[in-house]
Amino acid sequence: MTEDAIQSPPLEVAPPPPAESLLQRELRSWALALAGWFVPGLGHALQKMWGRAFVIFGAVGLLVYTGASLKGNVFASNGGDAFDTLGYVADMGTGCFYFFARFLEHTGADVSHAQGDYGTRFLATAGVLNILAALHAYEAARGRKA
Amino acid sequence: MNSQAGLSLTHFQAFLLFAAVISLAFGFLGRRRPNDRIRYILWSFFLFLVVGVGIGWAMYPFSR
Repeated sequence: MTEDAIQSPPLEVAPPPPAESLLQRELRSWALALAGWFVPGLGHALQKMWGRAFVIFGAVGLLVYTGASLKGNVFASNGGDAFDTLGYVADMGTGCFYFFARFLEHTGADVSHAQGDYGTRFLATAGVLNILAALHAYEAARGRKA
Repeated sequence: MNSQAGLSLTHFQAFLLFAAVISLAFGFLGRRRPNDRIRYILWSFFLFLVVGVGIGWAMYPFSR
């Protein structure tokens, strides 16, 4: 045994942190995805992805505001046909901004002009974009590099 | 921009706004490094414009 080996302090090895079980990680990922759906960008913010969180919140908010201001159709749950139901699902993709859109559009939609039609597309796009962002938050929480 | 009076955008303005916002979101979601993001955002925006204007011109002969 050399002199160096005798004088060197013993290595302190920290115990490894308890590994998160697969179930816990899956639950946490779903919770983050749900949070990201309900408040656009929150799923990323909770993972400290501030840039993405800010951009998603701003993009979805701007699309919803523009869509509602253009008097696009904010679909309700009691739609008469499959297209209304699809529109409702897309609009609900915006999470809490769905209620913001309904609040902005309290005078009702006006799709008799092209503007209203653009607005309907903006609202649906906001919802689909937010669902995409929520899925991205889910994947990031599961550890997939994104 | 008054929600009571309603926002007024031309088709092209709505198209530009849509392309810009979606490109920005795609860039931030799809890329991690700042330089890659900027390149992706610009490229995506450019493709939105080219495809949108291209489809517009492709429909032109059937518009009258």
